[in-house]
This record gives sequence, C-alpha cells and structure tokens, in this order.
Amino acid sequence: MSLLNLMILVVDDNPDICWVLDHLLGKLGAQCVRASDGQSALQAMQLHRLALMLVDAKLPDMDGLDLAGRVRGADPGVPVIMVSGYFYEDDPDIQAALAQGLICGFVEKPFAHAAITGAMEAALCSREAAPAVEAAVVC
Amino acid sequence: MDAIPSSVLLLDEELRVVLVNRNFLEKSHQTAGATVGERLNAVFPEVILAEMGLEHQIRNVFKSNCATEGQRLTYRAPGVPIRVYYYSVVPVNWGDQVDHVLLLLDDVTERTRLGEEIRRMERHLASIVESASDIVISTDIRGAILTWNRAAQAITGYSLEEVRSRPLFDYCELAGATSIRRLFSKGAPREMGRTESDVKTKNGGSRPVSWVFSPMMDDSARTVGFVAVGRDLTEQRKFELQIVESQKLAALGVMARGIAHEIRTPLAVSSSAAQFLEEDDITDEFRHECAERVQRGIQKASTIIENLLRFAHPSADRNKTAVDVRHVVKEAVTLLENQARIQNVEIRTEFPPEPCRVLGVPSLLEQVFINLLLNAMNAMPNGGTVRISAEQSVGELRISVADTGVGISPEDRDKIFDPFYTKARPGKGTGLGLSICYSIVDQHKGSISGDSEPGQGSTFTIILPVLFPADEERDESFESHDSGSGRQS
Repeated sequence: MSLLNLMILVVDDNPDICWVLDHLLGKLGAQCVRASDGQSALQAMQLHRLALMLVDAKLPDMDGLDLAGRVRGADPGVPVIMVSGYFYEDDPDIQAALAQGLICGFVEKPFAHAAITGAMEAALCSREAAPAVEAAVVC
Repeated sequence: MDAIPSSVLLLDEELRVVLVNRNFLEKSHQTAGATVGERLNAVFPEVILAEMGLEHQIRNVFKSNCATEGQRLTYRAPGVPIRVYYYSVVPVNWGDQVDHVLLLLDDVTERTRLGEEIRRMERHLASIVESASDIVISTDIRGAILTWNRAAQAITGYSLEEVRSRPLFDYCELAGATSIRRLFSKGAPREMGRTESDVKTKNGGSRPVSWVFSPMMDDSARTVGFVAVGRDLTEQRKFELQIVESQKLAALGVMARGIAHEIRTPLAVSSSAAQFLEEDDITDEFRHECAERVQRGIQKASTIIENLLRFAHPSADRNKTAVDVRHVVKEAVTLLENQARIQNVEIRTEFPPEPCRVLGVPSLLEQVFINLLLNAMNAMPNGGTVRISAEQSVGELRISVADTGVGISPEDRDKIFDPFYTKARPGKGTGLGLSICYSIVDQHKGSISGDSEPGQGSTFTIILPVLFPADEERDESFESHDSGSGRQS
C-alpha cells in the first residue's frame, strides 16, 4: 500500500514529534499537515482531504480519544491512529477505543519507524476493504 | 404568731398545748379546737413521740432552761405525704423559772428534696465526666491540675494523685506545651482556646491529643481556672494515614500516566533521530540535527526525572534552620532577573522592614520562589509585573506572588498542583513546578493556594508558621518532636 501523495494530519503539541513524523512521512512520499491541538485538527479536516490522522493522546485542549470521537462524527472515513506514550498497547482504554472503532491503530512512543508505517498501511488497507466507508469519504 | 412561716406550739409543764399557730394547724391538718388544751400525745402520733423522745427532751428543757439543738423529725399526718421537719425546743422564762416551752418546727421537706436533688445532679455530673471517653481536666488559673477524669488516666497512665497540682503542660510534648503555656500566660483569657499537642504517657510514649480549653468563671464572671477537654487522636491519625496512603496510590496512578507521557515523548524523538541516523542517504546537516535531537531528548527525559526526584524527596535536606524569607526571595529574584529583563517582566518586592523568620531549608524555599517566578514569567509572554509581598500576622507569615499574566481558567484551578498538569507551551514546562512548590511548602508545615481570573493574572499565596525566638532556642528538640510525631496532611 503506497502512501504516495496521500495527505496525512499529524496532531501533536510537541514540535519535536512533529519534526520526526514530518520527516518520516516525507520519506514515504506522503504530504504532512500539522496541528498542535484538537480544534486546529478539526479545522484542518475542513481544509484538506485527509487520508488518515496520527493523533497524540494528550492535547492542550482535549484528549486524543475525544478528538478521535469527534473526527468519526465529522467524517467516519478518516482513520485515526493514536501515537502516544500515555497509554500502553493492551491498555483497557486503548482496547476499548479499538473495539469501538474510535481509532484503527495504536503505536506506542518511542516507536520503530516501521511500526508507524505498518499501522498506516494497515489502516488504509482496511479502509479500502470497506466500500461503505470509502463512499462516505467521497461524499 | 400566725405570721411565722414555721410551726410553733407553746406547751406548759404538763405538756399541754397552750398556743398553736396557723402554720402548724395547716401542716398537721388539725383544728385549733382539737389542739389547744390537748396534751402533746394527743397532737402527735405516739410512735413519733416515742421514737424522737420528744417528751423527754421537753422535760429536760423545763429543767435545764437550755434550748435543745435542732433535730430532724419525719412526720406523716394522716392522709398527707411524708414531711420532714427540723425542730428545736426553746424555754420561755418567767424570771428564772421556765414556765413554758416553745416547740418550733421548720418544714424542711422541700429543702431536703432539693439537697438530695443537688447531690443526685452532682453524682450525675461527676459520672458524666468520669464516663466520658475524652480527657476532662480542670486546672487553676496557672494551669495546675485540679481534677483528672478516668479517660485522662486511661490515656496517659497517670492517676489523679500523681498529677494533682502539677502544671498540665508538664504532661504535653514540647511544641504543644509551648502553645498551651502561651495560653495560660495570657493571664485570664475569657475565650476558648484550641490546640493540638501530644500528651506524654507514663510508659514513656506519647499520644496525639486535640485540646479545647475553656475558662471557668466564678459568680462574678472572673476566670478562676480552665477546663481542658482532650480528644485522643491516635485512631483518627491512623485513619488519616490510611487516607493519605490511598490518596498517594491514586496520585501514583495519575502520575504514572503523566510520567509516561512526559518521558516517552523526548525518548521517542531520540529514538526516531537515531533511526534516521541509520539511513544511508542523509545529508551532513541532517545527521548533525539528528545527533543533536538525540542528545536533547535524553536531556529532557533526564530533567523530568530529576524534577520528579525533587518532588518525591523534597526533604532530602533535613537541616532546617532559621530562615529570613526576605533573603530567600532576594536570591531567587537575583537568579531570574536577567531572564525577566529579556521577557520585559518587572519583579517588585514589598517586604516589611523586620525579618520574616521561618524554620526551613533555604535551598528548598528558594526553589519554591524560583518555580513561582518562572510560572509567572511563562504566564506573561508579552511582559508584565510580578509583585512579591509579605506580611506577618499572628503566628504566620503570608507571602504573595502576583502576576499580571493570562490567569488560570476556573476548570484548571483545581488541577494546578497536580503533578504533570501544565498549560505551558511544549518544552516550556513539565507540570511539576507547582507540585514541587506544594510538596516543599507542606514539608514546612505551611500551605499554598492559587487565586486567579482568566486575563486578570494569578496570585499564589504561601502561608508559613513564623519562627518565634523561643522556638528558635529549642530548634533541635523542635525538630526531634517534629519527626517523631509523624503528622501527615
């Protein structure tokens, strides 16, 4: 699954993490858009046709899981991957969010770059396998 | 004679009633006709006369010309409740000759009943004091023990005999004894005083006690002593400790997530930068940037861990000394002056001319003011003023640090002292500064609170106990008591 030219929103208030993901996505040929809080992320959704979002758990104005809920309400076709050091992989909150479909993947900080790439590819594949969701994105 | 509120009978030598007053007739339910001219044994029941030996006493008075001493007589007239009389026989002389005697009877039924009632009440009150599970002690005006109830004996192990007339503060641990001594030395306070002081037990231990001292007044409202009621706080302390422990566990849960988030973020940056370094096609400039970010990430994680250590162990330096808070603040201001000037922040200090002395660790107290000043400066990105002022009132020093910054929103106000709670821009704060302040101030037996309106700036107020010269003299014992009592808040 190629990420070439896909627009990906990185939501993290830490500029160093944004620097990391910006470089990583750039190398993969994706376009990186940054937002440092939840409100800016929701605004960015209006402006860009996003392929997916990488979201931190703790944002200055809201929790990452709350943002994921609002993203799903606004556009269920944009997969959200949580990238955070706040939770651990089998954390009950994360397991619940995955089960509810609030997020479609979780990557723990610090991460191997391959883990981020793998999570993004898996999210995009599952999106393609769900035509109803694709239709929603098109609308 | 009828006006006399006692029963009066005038008797002749043959023990016949010559005169009788109305009071007697009313009490005995008899008529004058049935009484006057009758012999004594027709007026009083035979059994009473025999038991009291009244006839014999009357004849003695006729002979001796001496009045009898007052005696009690219990008399029950037919159909009326029992009455108690106090009677005496008084000779009535005609020249040297006793020709009549007066039998005077005072009805003391009511008085006797009241007396018994009073004694019953006294027994009841004594039983309340004795049965109370709280210590109840009475002292004279100088604090010498007068009474000491059963609870006092049970809690301390000392009996009343052992403590009677000894000063109450002899049985209190030093810090508490000082405040109790102060209470007594005020002369005759008319108001209640409260204090907490560990009480010494006979087996060499101590028990925490919460005291309430109330002045005892005499009829002319003069303070003649004190009543001290003390509640043993041992169980309460255990309970409080359990609460503190459970709160610590809950806080640990919150902190663990905060620590994870704060430390794993710079570690993630270092890790990613290292992964970028492994790539072949990177420029020298990017390699240099990556190496720098690896270093910086590790440095950030390390700083957070150091702050965490400070938060967890602010008491590592236990050498508390007499500290003039004015100097501590001055040191903190000197350290940050330069940074403040760059940020266009003016720092003003308003201190009283006299020393503001507290018992504390200078470096820790300085840390408190550095953290508060840094917070204030972060809240004023476009410059402003920080005003640090201090005032001393009864036993406490109140220091305010007020800024003209962005303020704190109402929903954030409850969380400002929580570890890792921060509104600072990324990289500007870890959310530990105020937690450390809280921890240090608590360690100094003080309190810290924040007051703010969004857009109106914030004011942090620290209250610390003032160090009295007398306390200073016994710094050492003060300290040992302090650590021994194990108080937690």
